[in-house]
Amino acid sequence: MGAELGNYKSCVSARSTDKELLKHAQDGGIVTSLFAFALEEGIIDGAIVAANKEFAAKYPSKCMMDNSNFDMIEPWRPIPAIVNTKAELIAAAGTKYNISPNVSLLKEATRSFGLDKIGIVGTPCQMQAVRKAQLYPIGMRDVGASIALAVGIFCMENFPYQSILQLVEDHAAMKLESVKKMEIGKGKFWVYGKRGQVVQLPLKITHKYEQPGCHVCLDYVANLADVSTGSVGSPDGWSTVMVRSKIGDSVWGKAMAAGCFETQPIEKVKPGLELVTKLANEKITKNKKTLEGRATFGVGKALRNPYI
Amino acid sequence: MADKITVGYTHLSGCTGCTVALADNYAGLLTLLDKYVDLKYMPTLADARHIQQVDVSFVEGSVCINDKLAVEEIKETREKSAIVVALGGCACYGNITRFSRGGQQNQPAHEAYLPIGDLIKVDVYIPGCAPTPQMIRNVAVMAYLLLKGTKEQKDLATAFLTPLMKLAAAGTSACFCELMTNVINQGLCMGCGTCAAACPVNAITMEYGKPQGERDLCIKCGACYSQCPRSFFNTDVISQYEAINEAIMAALQ
Amino acid sequence: MSKVVEISPTTRHEGHSKLVLKVNDQGIIETGNWCSITPVRGVEKLAVGKTPEQVPKIASRVCGICPIAHCLAATEAMEASIKCEIPNDAKMLRHILQLANRCHSIALHDILILPDFYIPGTETKINPFTAEEPVRSVAKRIQRLREIGQTIGQIAGGDCIHPRNTRIGGMYRNVSEQAKTKMYDLAKEGLTLSHQQAEFMIAVIRNYHNRDFVDVGGMKVPMPKTLGYHNQGYLATHAFYGSTSMDECPSWDINRFKEARPYDWYMGEMEVTLEEPKYPIGGTTKMGTKVNPQMEACTGIPMYDGQPVEVGPRARLVRYKNFDMKGTKGQNIAREMEYQDCFYEMIDCIDALNTSGKVVADYIPNGDGSLGWASNEAPRGTDVHIARVNDWKVQYFSMLVPTTWNFATCSKALEGAPWQLAEVIMRGYDPCVSCATHMIVLDEENKMIAQKLIQ
Ligand SMILES: Cc1cc2nc3c(=O)[nH]c(=O)nc-3n(C[C@H](O)[C@H](O)[C@H](O)COP(=O)(O)OP(=O)(O)OC[C@H]3O[C@@H](n4cnc5c(N)ncnc54)[C@H](O)[C@@H]3O)c2cc1C
Ligand SMILES: Cc1cc2nc3c(=O)[nH]c(=O)nc-3n(C[C@H](O)[C@H](O)[C@H](O)COP(=O)(O)OP(=O)(O)OC[C@H]3O[C@@H](n4cnc5c(N)ncnc54)[C@H](O)[C@@H]3O)c2cc1C
Ligand code: SF4
Ligand code: SF4
Ligand code: SF4
Ligand code: SF4
Ligand SMILES: [Fe+2]
Repeated sequence: MGAELGNYKSCVSARSTDKELLKHAQDGGIVTSLFAFALEEGIIDGAIVAANKEFAAKYPSKCMMDNSNFDMIEPWRPIPAIVNTKAELIAAAGTKYNISPNVSLLKEATRSFGLDKIGIVGTPCQMQAVRKAQLYPIGMRDVGASIALAVGIFCMENFPYQSILQLVEDHAAMKLESVKKMEIGKGKFWVYGKRGQVVQLPLKITHKYEQPGCHVCLDYVANLADVSTGSVGSPDGWSTVMVRSKIGDSVWGKAMAAGCFETQPIEKVKPGLELVTKLANEKITKNKKTLEGRATFGVGKALRNPYI
Repeated sequence: MADKITVGYTHLSGCTGCTVALADNYAGLLTLLDKYVDLKYMPTLADARHIQQVDVSFVEGSVCINDKLAVEEIKETREKSAIVVALGGCACYGNITRFSRGGQQNQPAHEAYLPIGDLIKVDVYIPGCAPTPQMIRNVAVMAYLLLKGTKEQKDLATAFLTPLMKLAAAGTSACFCELMTNVINQGLCMGCGTCAAACPVNAITMEYGKPQGERDLCIKCGACYSQCPRSFFNTDVISQYEAINEAIMAALQ
Repeated sequence: MSKVVEISPTTRHEGHSKLVLKVNDQGIIETGNWCSITPVRGVEKLAVGKTPEQVPKIASRVCGICPIAHCLAATEAMEASIKCEIPNDAKMLRHILQLANRCHSIALHDILILPDFYIPGTETKINPFTAEEPVRSVAKRIQRLREIGQTIGQIAGGDCIHPRNTRIGGMYRNVSEQAKTKMYDLAKEGLTLSHQQAEFMIAVIRNYHNRDFVDVGGMKVPMPKTLGYHNQGYLATHAFYGSTSMDECPSWDINRFKEARPYDWYMGEMEVTLEEPKYPIGGTTKMGTKVNPQMEACTGIPMYDGQPVEVGPRARLVRYKNFDMKGTKGQNIAREMEYQDCFYEMIDCIDALNTSGKVVADYIPNGDGSLGWASNEAPRGTDVHIARVNDWKVQYFSMLVPTTWNFATCSKALEGAPWQLAEVIMRGYDPCVSCATHMIVLDEENKMIAQKLIQ
């Protein structure tokens, strides 16, 4: 292999220098800090993120709502939203382990939101969608050139909302509204309660709950993002950051110069890139097998392969 | 002139929105015409009245098979063009003309409309309603590279155009159903929301992270499916997005 | 002895049309028939049974040059039928969208008519795509104006060719403060550019019409001072936007409207007896070709108070601003005079827009089959849509589009002009032909749509 981590210009282990922000962030606060910096510098004039019901109640016009009855929207349901300030970014920080269709706002961002320079965070597949929209803008008029910063987050898989509900409420035996944070790391699914309790579930339980579309996904570390980041490879509270494109390089360079992040060489931290590479390989190998299986799925009938 | 590709534009039963989309390359349109494209035939924008022999023909609109002239024009377009590009939902998939059923004055017998691919072989599809200026621009630049470029550029252009050629080969019918049958039912949807953004009539909403199609709104333009990263994703080309975008922008300077 | 010449298809406008001209020995038009030969997609018929939400989206796709007028007129006709009042900020967004479409459309029309004209002070006809000055700067300004219009339309309307943000009951979304500021900045820039553009165009138009002779494909053709004159009346329903049957004082009266079939209006079968290979580009139709406008024409002939009328920029200026210049010259100048006003109005609407106001009506009735109509002043004239919605299904839908109004009026205006200038007269109407092939008579027998409808 060797291509499992995609092209990148540099890779470090990093953490935001904003201690307040870190309290709300999932890992090293890379996404939130980088967008906050880019907003302040005018590199972006808004960012598409995964917000939640509380945010939507406060800023309904900033969200892409579905047809659910608002009062019935559950805790931990992501709501794609466009944010314009650091406070709004922080309100949307943290990982929601279920689907947030962030790309659904990409066109609207340039329309009723009036953005000229869009920031967007998303999973590797969402970064793929963004790049396809730029290169093959079939239904994405005047969008491509407005994408100013695409931050990708590493992703092994994602879950439908109902899966998270069952994992937390059945397996971890906690109410979703009393959950403070969820995390996957060190081979476990971790659920942290607001009252301080911690439940860990072995990852093998989570497999049946995964979104099937993830099983053909061949990108672990958001190869097509400007900057991609995830927890894997870096110590707790730190993030692994890969700077990939010219845009990414320029923004990251400026943010570093402005003192937004403290860093350590990725070679110096444990477990380092080796683990990232290992996990990337595992994901890609497993999902390539799925694709092969799909080719001979029926009797003389294949399931579709989106890559050919 | 010799360096340019010759281009024609056949207008059938379309609304001219596709033409406007082409013109919406703004200053880029002028550059395209200066450097790459010799527009031989396009009655809306130029004076030529008859279909000419060209390298590339863009066709807007579907064909009313009850109208002799329209049928002749699509056949003549095929005969006189090396490459035929179906531009827009109407030419590719019928779009709103799929709903036509005749009975209106002053030609009540104009009732049957077909996407051009049902009458001629089509090489490249640009779906969407309206199609986008940037997609038209990208295909025009790639067609130029394909016909006039170096070996390397030809390879790139071929790779770029391949999925659009496959769309053309795949058929003449599209609507929200394609997302259901070819993406969701195939276990491929991952909830990115691209389809909802692509739809020109807000027919798609994302419910619990998955697309819901309001089929009474869908106009059958094909944008959602072809924009979906799980309809086609040619990693080899898309992962060069930075270089290709830069090359296209440089070409239009 | 009169001869028959046919120019087919006509160029540099939207859609497929042709001119069948009966001319005298001096080549002066005695009778002119301008008719649409665009296939009829039958939007009014296919609308029946569909939802009132979908039909305006389809109506928009009748024409990509005036889609906004169609989308808005159709939406508002549905709203008039179901009696749904929309919030004021939704109205403001619709006004902005409509004006934005007009500023792109005027610029597009400039590109289409420029090749008829000369660079003032020279004998050089204008090729809008030439890289040479002074034309290139004009072309760039035109494209920038179009970009401004389309971008503002995109913000207010979700998309600028076929708008996405419009819906029954208002708009899907209001815009952000940031978007409002952006529209403001663009409109301010557009105002300055439109001023320059209108001045340039008016000079070019005057220069052309003041010539004694103009060149058409190497032929020296005398320029009549009365080019494009006609004695028909004018119809406009608003200085820029439109009216609906829900207005307190609607500015259009369905009782004064009637329609004739082209069969009663156009010439019958004839043979082409004059052929001019020099006519640009590719010559006129071959001698001996049979033509039959009566049968080939794809549109009806709408009448207001029993006569065809002119709609469009001049009609609006005549009706609302005491404009009095006749003919093709007056028509083209009127269009340019609307340019700046379009931005002034737009700036007013942006000012009035409250970005935190609601944009969807609280209550959207399903309709009881009542008749509702709405007019919208498209760049090229009054566009009236009529609808009946019952229980959230469209029972009846009709579109009286600007170019349909103008077909018969323009045919009159051709009389007395050298045939070589027929296309110049036609282009003065900024025709949109696929639009125009979309009207029906409810009652084919007495050809009276109105009486039937209001019962
Ligand atoms: C289904 C799945 C979903 C995942 N989703 C997420 C996610 O959402 N977010 C996320 O951050 N990660 C995610 N991960 C990755 C997860 O974080 C890794 O599994 C974890 O980081 C590696 O721990 P492990 O015990 O599985 O290591 P193993 O694969 O068992 O071992 C890897 C090696 O690295 C060493 N190692 C592992 N972690 C550390 C450490 N922190 N410090 C020092 N050495 C270490 C181990 O000792 C071992 O030698 C996911 C993994 C899977 C399989
Ligand atoms: C489904 C999923 C799986 C992941 N798997 C792995 C993994 O295997 N290994 C690994 O190292 N990291 C994984 N991550 C990434 C990791 O959990 C962190 O999101 C990432 O490290 C960023 O942390 P941060 O502190 O920089 O971000 P923060 O500053 O906390 O910001 C996170 C940003 O991501 C956005 N976001 C939250 N949830 C979603 C979502 N569902 N979809 C799109 N955007 C969202 C938030 O709105 C916020 O803007 C995964 C993330 C998700 C959503
Ligand atoms: S695993 Fe792949 S497909 Fe699934 S959410 Fe992550 S990036 Fe998307
Ligand atoms: S695809 Fe859309 S824009 Fe193009 S002709 Fe058809 S309706 Fe018009
Ligand atoms: S759902 Fe929307 S994008 Fe998809 S085909 Fe229908 S109209 Fe087009
Ligand atoms: S674009 Fe494709 S993968 Fe994305 S949500 Fe729509 S159907 Fe699913
Ligand atoms: Fe039109």
